[in-house]
Amino acid sequence: MPSSNISDPHHRKRHLGVWRLLYSIPMNLIIYPLVSLWTLSGIIVFPIVFLFWKVALRWENARIMRLFIWFYGRGWLVIMSPFVQFRRMGFVKRTIEPPYIIVINHLSFFDFWCMALLPFSNVVVAVRSWPFRMPWFAPFMRLAGYLDVESLGWAGSLVSGSEIMKKGGSILFFPEGHRSRDGKLQRFYSGPFKLSEETGTKILPLCITGSDMLLPPGSWWMMPAKISLKALTPIDPKDFHRTLGHITLQKHTKAMIAQNLAGMRKA
Amino acid sequence: MIDEKVIEIINTSLANEFELDIEKMVPDALLYEDLGLDSLDRVDTVILLEQAFKFKIREEEEIRQIRTLGDIHTFVINKIQSLRETEGAIQ
Repeated sequence: MPSSNISDPHHRKRHLGVWRLLYSIPMNLIIYPLVSLWTLSGIIVFPIVFLFWKVALRWENARIMRLFIWFYGRGWLVIMSPFVQFRRMGFVKRTIEPPYIIVINHLSFFDFWCMALLPFSNVVVAVRSWPFRMPWFAPFMRLAGYLDVESLGWAGSLVSGSEIMKKGGSILFFPEGHRSRDGKLQRFYSGPFKLSEETGTKILPLCITGSDMLLPPGSWWMMPAKISLKALTPIDPKDFHRTLGHITLQKHTKAMIAQNLAGMRKA
Repeated sequence: MIDEKVIEIINTSLANEFELDIEKMVPDALLYEDLGLDSLDRVDTVILLEQAFKFKIREEEEIRQIRTLGDIHTFVINKIQSLRETEGAIQ
């Protein structure tokens, strides 16, 4: 069979690669200006919306900011949608009852934006100190009450985390700490699992695939991608109540995520 | 228990619990910088060592001075030695 035949898997792969590369040119030319415009509009409109929510609905500042971030993310999803297919799985309304401690694998800078796929907006992201040093993110992160777990330390994170969850907020962790460079799951830190054990809050494991294709680590050139976000069955920490139970909970969660990621990638 | 056996138990326990790369587990390895442990892992390490060697160490001041994997080895070896001496003195 001649090598140029389209049914040849190697040829098809190369063909798709060329197509993706060509399609990425208008994608980058359109997306970056549109996202900049969307961000700028958000910054301009935000004080008005914030005041309205504050005065008319009497929401607390952090809650308004979280809703606004989620809505901003929704806009980002719409802007990206001609070039990126988003797929959400496992979010059955009746079984999803926040608050949760959400844990998700980390592949790309855009994983955070993809959290707009979540069906609820009251989510606090737990991060290390460095994002709080970025002047264009920090004010919004502080206003939303995001957790700087590095500065707070374990005791501070436990106190702040408990307060957030008492008010109905979920906390999102990337337990690997940083993006995976090869797609493989890295070591999980035990903080979220200890917090789950201490507060009795269920873990909601999430799996994300494809965001590394959209924007690979170290690159600013976006490529068309298919991004899937899957919610797994929430895990009750009560089932892991023993000495170092949070480490068993961590290993159990990681195994669930790894197994589902393998299935999603095969599919 | 000979020192090599103690070191092996420590390294295996830490590697299993914290998913550490056994090749990186050299005595000079700094717990935070080289092995990537955090403050919570430090607390868990104490519990792990207590379980593995059946002693109580969480109240001991010396734990706060531990910086490297080698420090843990030395601490545990000395602790076992001191417990033996105490037991010998009682008998």
